[in-house]
Amino acid sequence: MTAPMSLTLFCLAAVVLLPLLASALSVLLGTAARRVMGVITSVTVLGLVTPILIQVTSGQTLELALGGFESPLGITLRADGLSALFLAMTAIVGAVVSCYAAARPAATGKRLVPAAEQRRRSHPADAGIGAEATAHREARSVVHADPSPVWRAGHAGFWPLWLGCWSGLNAVFVSGDLFNTYVGLELVGLTAVALVALGGRDAWPAALRYLFIAVLGSLLFLIGVALIYSVTGTLDIIASGEVIAELAASHDADLAAVVLALCLISLGLALKVALVPLHRWLIPAHSSAPSAVSPLLSALVIKAALFVLLRVWLWVAGPLPELVILAWVLAGMGAVAILVGSVMALRQSRLKPLIAYSTVAQAGYWFLLLPLLLDPETTALEGQTGTTLEDGAVLAGALGGTVALALGHGLAKASLFLAAGHLKDLYGTDEIDELRGAGRAHPMLVMSMGLSAVGLIGLPLSLGFTGKWLLATSAVAAGHYWILVVLVAGTLFSAAYLLKAVAPLLVMSEDDQTALTLPQAQTHPDDRALTGKAQLAPFVLGLLTVLTGFLGAWLTGVLEVGAPW
Amino acid sequence: MMLAQWALSMGAVELTQMQWYLLVGTAIAVIGLVRMLLTRDLLARLIALNVTGIGSLMIILALAARTAESGDATGGTEAAGSGIDPVLSALVITGLVITVAFTGLGAVLIRRIEGAQDAERAHTLDDVHDPERSGDAGDRE
Repeated sequence: MTAPMSLTLFCLAAVVLLPLLASALSVLLGTAARRVMGVITSVTVLGLVTPILIQVTSGQTLELALGGFESPLGITLRADGLSALFLAMTAIVGAVVSCYAAARPAATGKRLVPAAEQRRRSHPADAGIGAEATAHREARSVVHADPSPVWRAGHAGFWPLWLGCWSGLNAVFVSGDLFNTYVGLELVGLTAVALVALGGRDAWPAALRYLFIAVLGSLLFLIGVALIYSVTGTLDIIASGEVIAELAASHDADLAAVVLALCLISLGLALKVALVPLHRWLIPAHSSAPSAVSPLLSALVIKAALFVLLRVWLWVAGPLPELVILAWVLAGMGAVAILVGSVMALRQSRLKPLIAYSTVAQAGYWFLLLPLLLDPETTALEGQTGTTLEDGAVLAGALGGTVALALGHGLAKASLFLAAGHLKDLYGTDEIDELRGAGRAHPMLVMSMGLSAVGLIGLPLSLGFTGKWLLATSAVAAGHYWILVVLVAGTLFSAAYLLKAVAPLLVMSEDDQTALTLPQAQTHPDDRALTGKAQLAPFVLGLLTVLTGFLGAWLTGVLEVGAPW
Repeated sequence: MMLAQWALSMGAVELTQMQWYLLVGTAIAVIGLVRMLLTRDLLARLIALNVTGIGSLMIILALAARTAESGDATGGTEAAGSGIDPVLSALVITGLVITVAFTGLGAVLIRRIEGAQDAERAHTLDDVHDPERSGDAGDRE
């Protein structure tokens, strides 16, 4: 047993360090070599995550002190059920999007090249032809004098930034202490800002706004962490949780600092998750990012903040009665987010902003469980002999549901954003009206959009359905019927806005009086990058959204590993 | 300076040194935050964010001194004599490094945004009757 164990521990360190190393090395490489390296790294990380997931599923929490230094000054990596699930989702989405970006370098952004170079390479050999027409048109609107630089599709800076971001994400997921969580969050935030900025001139203001928000959120988190340390004397997540629980048990202890810390941390992380009313930055950032970047931002980057939020609320703070007001405020903001995000999504006429607003709406679901955690009646119910509830069943159900919703959202939204970005690159627009009937020309893209819509609405079989089901049952068990109302309303709303997005693409000219006028596809007919295998990427993710719905029971089982109850 | 004088006049309420620093740090952070949210000038916003960052790091330093003084921190016992907690100092140093990183990134972005705007404005002055550009020339300000 020792050999596979040490191997898994090696994997635990490698999922953080390998992408970081690859990120640093890829800076030295040329464009084509970076693509190869990116794909190899992503497949390797997928391979490294598998033993971690298997080991954790078998019921073991993995723990590794890097370099043999113990806390407080050493770095402890720890993987429990929650970590393993988020690691796995990140690895799957990351690997698929990496393959997509390698197959379609034009999707990785836009860069300015000197006009002389542009003339010399008037017949570019690489696959960046797809969005070149778009780039040309925009280039004309920026600079039209010939010697000025021009915009061309494709930005090789994508690879070091994305691999660095992946390293940060994995660091957040396996971090055993709050300080490394902070460093990981910062790495994710800064690389994500730079990834948005790859979108060219239009994306720069959005990237800057995102930078302000991300840094502000991190600062609030940092102050909160320092407060927790000053109370508990440790940064370790589990140890600080124990100290706080002890303090809570002794009645005369003053927990004001912990409550203040939780307020600051929650506010900072809510900024990063884009919880209504702190969501304004997300729309321009996610919709103006390049096609290969928006799925990463929406599926993975905001999940890092969500993960930390769950960690702090469940592992560090525990059920402190002083936090009830804060939990209700956050849950209320979540309910409002579902409403506001959905209504705003319905009002969009363009595909990518609509999907971005749908992210805002879906983020609301992840905050609904907080009042359940703190309800003293929940634990009282469990204690009674008449009920069939096991110890911690309500909490397990609520957490399982929320995690299932978050993971399902990650897969579905990555697929949806990939497909939408692909259509935008094909036709040079993402106006839904102009894309009417695109389903006939690109059945696979629109099919994957449909599959991910199934996941986002939460129709049966999908992971979204499993999540809503688990959350709803535990809400009923705890007597919180308002969650049911919110879930039903959210489901109806998401069906409405996703139909609005997908239905026009499915229109066939036979059953519609108006003639279909798709914009001239801005691509060479022989451009394999836009019509070929790259379309498989959103399809694979869409398929996974639906297939993973079978994993509901397994998922709650994995979450039990290292659970705080 | 006004703030310092006001805080000194409040000194009648018997603030310890750490509490004083905590207050000043909070005040700096809040002032930076308010300025960041109210101004539209990009460079001013970046600097305001820096001020917020410094304020929050000051809060953490004050906490570090307090933790070391009370001496109940596991890491702070040896350093109790020097009066500062090593773990929280490490937090502050990392915070400083990250401040440098985000300021650099922000400065590059601001330079690019304003450079693009300047180029655009120069072009609109060049030929006023270019229909493609007249729309988005004045999207800011």
